[in-house]
Amino acid sequence: MEIFLQLVLNGLLLGGTLAIISIGLTLIFGIVRVVNFAHGEFLMIGLYAVYLLNHHLGLHPYAAILPVVLLLFACGAAMQRFVIQPLLNSPGHIQIFATVGVSIALMNGALLVFGADVLTVANPSGLGTGNISVGFLRAGTGQVLTFMVSLLLVAGLHWFLQSTFLGRAVRATAQNRNAAQLMGVNVKNIYVFAFGLGCACLGLAAGMIAPQYPVFPTVGSFFVLTAFVIVVLGGLGSVSGALLGSMLIGIVDSLAGFYIAPDLKEVVYFLIFLAILIFRPTGLLGAGRGSE
Amino acid sequence: MSHRYWSKSCLAALLLSASLGAHADVKIGALFPFSGGLALLGDESYRGAEIAVAERNAAGGVKGEPVTLIKADAVDAGQAVGTARRLVSNDNVTAVFGSYSSALSFAATQVTELAGVPYFELGAVSDPITDRGMKYVFRSNPTAKTFAKGTITAITDIIAPALKVDAKQLKIAIIHEDALYGTTIAGFQKQFAAEQGLNIVEVLPYSAKAVDLSSLILRLKGAQADVVLQTSYQNDTTLFFRQLREAGFAPKAVVGAGGGYSMQDTAQAVGAKNIDGVLDVDFPQFQTNEAGAPGIQAFADAYRKKYGMEPRSGHSLINYVGAKLFLEAMDQAKSLSADDIRAAVLKIDVPVGQTAAGIGAQFAENGQNQRAETTIMQWQDGKLMTVYPASAAVAKARFNPQP
Repeated sequence: MEIFLQLVLNGLLLGGTLAIISIGLTLIFGIVRVVNFAHGEFLMIGLYAVYLLNHHLGLHPYAAILPVVLLLFACGAAMQRFVIQPLLNSPGHIQIFATVGVSIALMNGALLVFGADVLTVANPSGLGTGNISVGFLRAGTGQVLTFMVSLLLVAGLHWFLQSTFLGRAVRATAQNRNAAQLMGVNVKNIYVFAFGLGCACLGLAAGMIAPQYPVFPTVGSFFVLTAFVIVVLGGLGSVSGALLGSMLIGIVDSLAGFYIAPDLKEVVYFLIFLAILIFRPTGLLGAGRGSE
Repeated sequence: MSHRYWSKSCLAALLLSASLGAHADVKIGALFPFSGGLALLGDESYRGAEIAVAERNAAGGVKGEPVTLIKADAVDAGQAVGTARRLVSNDNVTAVFGSYSSALSFAATQVTELAGVPYFELGAVSDPITDRGMKYVFRSNPTAKTFAKGTITAITDIIAPALKVDAKQLKIAIIHEDALYGTTIAGFQKQFAAEQGLNIVEVLPYSAKAVDLSSLILRLKGAQADVVLQTSYQNDTTLFFRQLREAGFAPKAVVGAGGGYSMQDTAQAVGAKNIDGVLDVDFPQFQTNEAGAPGIQAFADAYRKKYGMEPRSGHSLINYVGAKLFLEAMDQAKSLSADDIRAAVLKIDVPVGQTAAGIGAQFAENGQNQRAETTIMQWQDGKLMTVYPASAAVAKARFNPQP
């Protein structure tokens, strides 16, 4: 029983990390309707930015979050404005090719600039790398903090989307871009904003996970495949769905790794992925029929 | 007038090039990944071969002719085939040095074998490279099988005596990344452990792309593993040690095989304190006793002089030693035809401990060096110190209770 509870806790904490990344993806997926295959590479950019700020200015990764969030907002907005927007009326697969192209270019660009080395942030204060234990349960402080930040992020985004004028415009655009345009919403600007917002989440993720994970050019691909599963599981465009999906996948990952086999845990959650696509294509908390 | 002038100079040029052809250098291809993800260690490997060639040329070259290395970049198997074709048909190389990566070696040797050009493998570890009945493929470095054997030797000859227990009483867990590299080594580890009658309690493959190994560690903890053998890359090594700490699990010893465990930046990422005491089986690195590896310091000095930096890993060393052996064989060969080179390579007889990497050399019919052993090293105070074999050791293995 002790092991089971520890596994569930590990799963939830992993879910926290995955949630921040998946929320960014689901915003872009749900609002701009673009499958952003470069999502993992934006995370990689974020991690390198954190590394550089840490290395040259001695900032703790958590302190680097603010500048990195702004940087990634700018990257995401630029990607939407200059890569996706010109292709807005092209078929979906053209946009996918464009994001795959950006992904490959960024990965190889990082290889060129930083090399294939594994880089780690310096963290003399030890904040985010310690351990805490409650009873027989143990956890890394970094993971616990990441988990709490992911809950705050969901709450913040929920408030923003439900209660602000801009948030309502974003939701309107997500529901039906033509109708939103008729109501006077500048759809193109909303798209640029939403893409930037989705990428800004990655800046937050980068700062939170930098004390735990090293950075290297292909680091993005380690996280992003799981994020796609989570987004489909939770429902496209649903922020709380992404959180729920992350927790579920985290727990499945942890339990399957223990009770089945560590190398088969991906098999388990891709089976779930397939089952969701077949039986509930809109996801657990998806908008359902009626949305675009 | 001008017409005659041109024909004369053309004739002169022809004669000149013909005479140049007669005294041509000995051309050897150097097929390594110089770009892409493998570039760092590919280039490090090439540097070893480059130094060996420079040394050979300073000492009079091969059969009195200087050796020229023709650099050929290959990032994947497809490119390796194309590059090897270019080397054998356009550049007419006498032999090819390669290739760091086993995938590149598999592909490139197919081409050189058909063309009847000797391929000298200096660094790729996959066993089947020399098990395909190829006549002109030779390998100087230790293979995956030797790596696996080294990890088992580490248990029987170092860990068990240090802990003052019978090796058979130790509970051993094997964890490995689940692609070709990890699976191959783990397979041999199981085989050798069974031969020694060791007690293996868990064999757990995992994806090298995993972002969480906590459940794997709980399995190890549940099985109360005393010794963990890991075959991994850098990222998963780092992740494993971090989560080991988080789970509060401290096996009595951890043994790594190559790759993830030998690099200085892995030690940095894991933290010098956390990796202290961890054993590593690999090509010999630079903290090795000169007595068991004559020439190692001279090589390190030559490296620093040529590149103005410390060697980045032991890859340059093992490639240097292999290239040196094969250049010597080419010099001793009756002629530079492939068959004469093969005869000369099979005649090489260097006892263990007589090269700068500590390995010996004697080549079997399949082209594999039978005297290529791995070294066992231990991370001590942030440095990778050779602890086994005794002749090459610079430190004694020590085991503290891990934090």
